Amino acid sequence: MKTFAIGGIHPPERKLTESSAIEVMPVPAELAISMNQHLGKPAKPVVKAGDEVKKGQLIGEADGFISANVHASTSGKVKSVKPHAHPGGQYAMTVFITPDGKDEWAGGLDNAPVDWKSFSREEIVAKVKDAGIVGMGGAGFPTNVKLSPPPDKNIDTIILNGAECEPFLTADHRLMVESPAEVVGGLEIIASLFAGQAKAWIGIESNKQDAIDALKKHASQKGIEIVVLKTKYPQGAEKQLINAITGRTIGEGELPFDKGCLVQNIGTAVAVYDAVCRNRPLIERIVTVSGMEISSRKNVLARIGTAFRDIVDFCGNLSEKTNQVICGGPMMGKALFTLDAPVVKTTSGLLFMNNAAVEKSRERTCIRCGKCVSVCPQSLEPWLLGNTAELRKFDEILDFGLMNCTECGSCTFVCPSKRELVHWIKYAKALVNSRQKRKSA
Amino acid sequence: MISEAFIPAVTSLGAVALALGLIIHYVSKKFHVEEDPTVTLINDILPGVNCGACGYPSCGQFAEVLVETKDSSMSCPVGGSDLAEKLGQTLGITMAEPKPQIAVLLCQGDNDTARETAEYLGIQDCWAATQAYVGPKQCRYSCIGLGSCIAFCDFDAMRLENGLVVIDKDLCTGCEACISACPTGVLVMQEKKAERYFIACNSHDKGAATKKACDAGCIACQKCVKVCEDDAIVIDRFLATIVQEKCTACGKCIEVCPTKVNCIRLENDLQAVKQKKAS
Repeated sequence: MKTFAIGGIHPPERKLTESSAIEVMPVPAELAISMNQHLGKPAKPVVKAGDEVKKGQLIGEADGFISANVHASTSGKVKSVKPHAHPGGQYAMTVFITPDGKDEWAGGLDNAPVDWKSFSREEIVAKVKDAGIVGMGGAGFPTNVKLSPPPDKNIDTIILNGAECEPFLTADHRLMVESPAEVVGGLEIIASLFAGQAKAWIGIESNKQDAIDALKKHASQKGIEIVVLKTKYPQGAEKQLINAITGRTIGEGELPFDKGCLVQNIGTAVAVYDAVCRNRPLIERIVTVSGMEISSRKNVLARIGTAFRDIVDFCGNLSEKTNQVICGGPMMGKALFTLDAPVVKTTSGLLFMNNAAVEKSRERTCIRCGKCVSVCPQSLEPWLLGNTAELRKFDEILDFGLMNCTECGSCTFVCPSKRELVHWIKYAKALVNSRQKRKSA
Repeated sequence: MISEAFIPAVTSLGAVALALGLIIHYVSKKFHVEEDPTVTLINDILPGVNCGACGYPSCGQFAEVLVETKDSSMSCPVGGSDLAEKLGQTLGITMAEPKPQIAVLLCQGDNDTARETAEYLGIQDCWAATQAYVGPKQCRYSCIGLGSCIAFCDFDAMRLENGLVVIDKDLCTGCEACISACPTGVLVMQEKKAERYFIACNSHDKGAATKKACDAGCIACQKCVKVCEDDAIVIDRFLATIVQEKCTACGKCIEVCPTKVNCIRLENDLQAVKQKKAS
């Protein structure tokens, strides 16, 4: 079984929803579609209050090179365009739509599947761009940009990331089990862009045997290799996945295409398939609703813009012991400050926890046991980064590899002194960036 | 016996000391640098805190440049007008009257007036809180209230009170060290005057949104603009600002402001204004 070379942990898997089929969630009474669902510049709203929109209609236009289109996820009337809570913890410009209940597609969308082989390379990339597809694993990097690497970079390895190493999350797992043909189809489309020279892989952790079986049936004829990976966190991190499958190491400041690799998420592959073959923009995604404090745990297919409050209503109710709601996985996800925030393209899970670790000043001093050093998959010394950040020595901290940290959270997980190492690292990154901005200004 | 043992030691060491002393004396004469005694004099007058508010890295460099250029517009914000007078006397010139600056917090959303979001239990630092979410208060323009700026103040002029940073107007020297320590930009420098009004709110949200998030926010209702006889109040992106050059400190705006404590007087403390408005 393959795995990455350095570090890693094995947190309790808690895949409570791995055998529950995806449930389609009804369209809620109001949708709040954020214009900031991707990395880069937020989209520019192109509708105003009072406009009638159809399902799949463009409501936010990509603003710049690293940006993505946003579409209406049902038909209805635009109620208002104003800043609203975003699951990332900030406020973002949001288009509110009151659905009319007809759920009508805009013209030319949602066709019967056609064969993608009739499209040229440029047509496929343009379709992906128009559909507003972004990396659905969490970072939300616009996919069309990723599919057009600089011409001097030779891509020879395409990896589909089915590791889903975060505890609780099963969104990609269910997608692989229920729509293996679309997953493989999406990967074939992506691989066809690097015609003939690229080898396609699908990396899946060993705890998803049913997904491995389902995909093997579809992939075996098409030259796609299924790689069974050891169940270990962070197996699904881009750099670690490349290392596990190809043995290549992505250094500090390097991107995967510098080493000839391209990694895409399972959800992204299905979105690419839908966009190219069926002309469907990205307007819904699978969200794992889990955690100990919600009465029924499900994998739901929710429209982009569904408020978390509506998802709670759909899945029963919360226990009184809920003290933390996490958007994403428990290792890298962010605690929410309001349930009014909506589902965005990168929302992979919604976890309702009674986290005993949440209490004031549980942080103690570093005892230099070195556990964080042995689990860091990026070969860093997290204790040193944490201590340096706490002392606010922001000139020195860059020499310790601050910018090479992927914030996977392994160090915080193992720390016996409960040091909030990742939070200190994020804090240092924010201050280093603000100082650099001020210097250049 | 004992004196015999001493003689060679004393003579040899004495000879070495004498030789070195002569060398030092020769070098100090040969390479003597003529230093302007006024620089030392000025340096002694200056506060000596090396805060950097004047634009020079240290008080010593400020003194050197001042003596060399005799530029009457140079000023030390920490020393104020007393120091300017002394410097003028020493140099024999008339120094320009310095315009002392003071750090001002454009927020009054304390724990009672501002609505809270989720409770924050992470690292107690404003920058760390903004990495997690908008902050403990709903208003994204507000003072986060974890006091990152306090550590940067060399003059003990800042303290945390009821979720809000309070600046002691007597201790603040206007060195600007706190300004860049604030992630939301709610701290600004303003001219220090005996009597003066300013809008203590930083929210560019629409009136309804501001009102929803905080009881003490400017809702851009225009009442103060209409009542102002000097045209000193302008509203930009749902936030009123008082133009200090035009303001005559008549105090009419504070009487019409519907949010009670929105405009405050600098020489009064906040509590007194609150009581006045409540009565």
